[in-house]
Amino acid sequence: MNRISKSLAAALLAATTLATAPALAETVLRLDEVPVGELDPGKATDYADSILMFNIYDTLVIPAQGGPGYVPHLAESFEADGNDFVFKLRQDVKFQSGNPLTADDVVFSFERMKALGQGLSFLFKNVDGIEKVDDATVRFKLSQPYSPFVASLVRLPIVDKKLVMDNLGEGDGEMKDWGQAFLSANGAGTGAYKVVSHNPQEETVMAKNADYFLGVAEVAPDTVRFRYGLEAATVRTLIAQGEHDISSQWLPPEVLKSLAADGAQMLKETGGGAFYIKMNTAKPPLDDVNCRLALASAYDYASGLKMVAVTDDVAQGSPSTGGVPVGMYGAKPASDAMNRDLEKAKEHLAACKYKPEDFNLEISWIGEVPIEERFALLMQANFAELGIKSEIRKLPWALFTEQVTKPENTPNISQIFANAVTGDPDTLLYPMYHSSAAGTWQSPEYLKDEAVDAALEKGRAETSDEGRQAAYTALNDRLMEIAPSIYAYDRQSIFAASNRVKVPALSDPAKAFGLDGFGFTFRLMEMTGE
Amino acid sequence: MPPVVRLLAKRLGTSLIVLVGVSMLIFTIARVIPGDPARIALGPNATAEQVEALRERLHLDEALPIQYGYFLRDLSRGDLGISLYTNRPVTADIAQFLPATLELIVVAGLMMILIGLPLGVIAARYRGSWADHAVRIFTLLGVSAPSFVWAVILMLIFAFYLPLFPIAGRIADSYAIASVTGFLTIDTLIAGNLAAFGNAAWHIVLPAFALSLSGIGQAARLTRSNMVETYDKPFIEMARSYGFPERRIARRFAFRPSLIPSLTIIGLDFAAMLGNAFLVEAVFAWPGLSRYGVAVILRKDLNAIVGTVLIISAMFLLVNIIVDLLIAFINPRIRYSQRAS
Repeated sequence: MNRISKSLAAALLAATTLATAPALAETVLRLDEVPVGELDPGKATDYADSILMFNIYDTLVIPAQGGPGYVPHLAESFEADGNDFVFKLRQDVKFQSGNPLTADDVVFSFERMKALGQGLSFLFKNVDGIEKVDDATVRFKLSQPYSPFVASLVRLPIVDKKLVMDNLGEGDGEMKDWGQAFLSANGAGTGAYKVVSHNPQEETVMAKNADYFLGVAEVAPDTVRFRYGLEAATVRTLIAQGEHDISSQWLPPEVLKSLAADGAQMLKETGGGAFYIKMNTAKPPLDDVNCRLALASAYDYASGLKMVAVTDDVAQGSPSTGGVPVGMYGAKPASDAMNRDLEKAKEHLAACKYKPEDFNLEISWIGEVPIEERFALLMQANFAELGIKSEIRKLPWALFTEQVTKPENTPNISQIFANAVTGDPDTLLYPMYHSSAAGTWQSPEYLKDEAVDAALEKGRAETSDEGRQAAYTALNDRLMEIAPSIYAYDRQSIFAASNRVKVPALSDPAKAFGLDGFGFTFRLMEMTGE
Repeated sequence: MPPVVRLLAKRLGTSLIVLVGVSMLIFTIARVIPGDPARIALGPNATAEQVEALRERLHLDEALPIQYGYFLRDLSRGDLGISLYTNRPVTADIAQFLPATLELIVVAGLMMILIGLPLGVIAARYRGSWADHAVRIFTLLGVSAPSFVWAVILMLIFAFYLPLFPIAGRIADSYAIASVTGFLTIDTLIAGNLAAFGNAAWHIVLPAFALSLSGIGQAARLTRSNMVETYDKPFIEMARSYGFPERRIARRFAFRPSLIPSLTIIGLDFAAMLGNAFLVEAVFAWPGLSRYGVAVILRKDLNAIVGTVLIISAMFLLVNIIVDLLIAFINPRIRYSQRAS
């Protein structure tokens, strides 16, 4: 027994001695997101997928840095031709495989996305087809005027046709599986980072692409380890120990607060979306506009923001000014913040055809988003001051998405975090408020309002910035008049980061991008060597 | 037929029936709980047409018995379908994630045996002494808090305040080890990389200890109480009267008969750890099957749920068979009862 104990002790000692890891010469960036990291760019939807896509692949256009609009990227230039859009491609771009980028790759990427019908392919439903004009020119043919089309192209990553065709998996027809098996484990893009290894539940390791057509700065991380599904306590410990660099946006405010107290940077991403408290306009008592206005006036916006505050200066939200988040077409200035007005609420309630004692509001919150329970309790307390009774109900996401398919099953009040997947207001507002879009998780209001529909359609059809600004201003005004939702706050994602990395796109508004996730373009980051 | 082989055949037959029952049960339960798997898989931005197309592809628009027929047909070809969570074959996911969990629970199981049993023996042999009280406090602490609480506490103490152990993962980022068995401690040895082996072993200590604490407590408590009971038996008195040393009495006459209930509990704990490991895996960022199992349940990933539950059930049954055989090996009465039957 003694001999065994001694042997075990010796083995443990040896293991501890041998465990010292060799020193690293390269710079490594470590960050995390919720699982699962979807590598196939045709299926990318989540934040993690978007970060992968924006670094491994490129798109014809990208959002402009530090301002609104989109600039050519893989495209050299583009122009509208009636309903069509013609893109001239850059001639100096090569895929990571060494294959040159041609119009065939763009056509293939578009057709693949349409054929798979997954991810954000619905953004292109107004595109009738695409044709190769010559090796360096493609033409997208649209069925109707659709000004958000250019913005949608930030969600059309260009894949290496030759490489994918050489790696088709099992499937029916000429295109077999369209390379799904291959692209779920490998990269086939032109991006600044290459896939080294990929485990969708653990991490994706990426390395700098030395042949990137725009070059990659020396200070950008050599290797990126993108981890999935780390617990808040683990991230908290890892960052404090210098073993992690950027947290996900999903850390609870109290964890962010303790990291800030330890000296971590707080990176911010703003402008992409908002937190909406949605009211079911299809059933009593919220089918009466005055009842809705009463609730919108009674809600305590300032207390709501305090609940997501990280420090005195940083919060996971900023004051809302209306239905359109600040920074988008039609938004009101940041100084016009929404405020509680109990007297006004009482006036509206007096004008409502339903009396408070006659109804009991159902306030739901999504089970997977614990912060929403706090908002439900806040609303319950706020509405009780008007004499309105309410009950709080926890709904798992899966059940919620099913319930909202019928207005009679949809709760009186639901809570939703929504964002514009392309950065264009159309992708945020049309699915929420157009009458044809009612009955999804985004539209539990079941709003049917002709003025809203008209403004949304005008926003799509207008091609000039001024025209779109006017359309969305009219929409915002109307949304304030009829209050289908309580516009609780504009969303601001906060990421805790070590001082080993600088992320100008998430710390300097002049270098920010108006598209969620694009701030995580690794080639624009700087490792400080600390 | 030798009695052990007969016992093995009997257990295998029963296990097969249990597995078929589990497959039917989990197949049905996964489909009747609320939530549309196609909607969840495609994410919040998918259109109704996209959701409907996926429902058709998954045969969700067909009757349950027909869906089960498709499942059995694919299963006979070793195909558990595609996971909607990872977009990969479920078999590939299980092959990738199972070894990590198995490695963790094998080490945790070894800790239960190598720490729990000796602690029980010490407590019984020195009952009423400070050693007995110390073991009692330790074991009560172990069983009184769930493993994930210990995971966080151990991480805070031994990885944060006293940075003796790594916080997360299976091995340091600087090592690239080719996967042969999926067990990193074995693969590093196959690669002949002793430094990497040390690193992998160093990484597994805290999560395995957190996972095994409750089992250590149970094994120690059970061993102690059984040994204390055995110490009161007349044959122990007789052994003492013959002048056998206390150490020999403890090991040979008191411990061995007390081992059977402890082994049964360790076997059950070992199998249960497959399902219970998920929070420890989550805290230590351990890319194992338990974490995968919870993620697929939350996303209602039907194929992956069925695949994961079947694998965990099969492992549970396998461990029970091994424990039964071990007990039969230790206790001749059980072995010979098979011959009699």
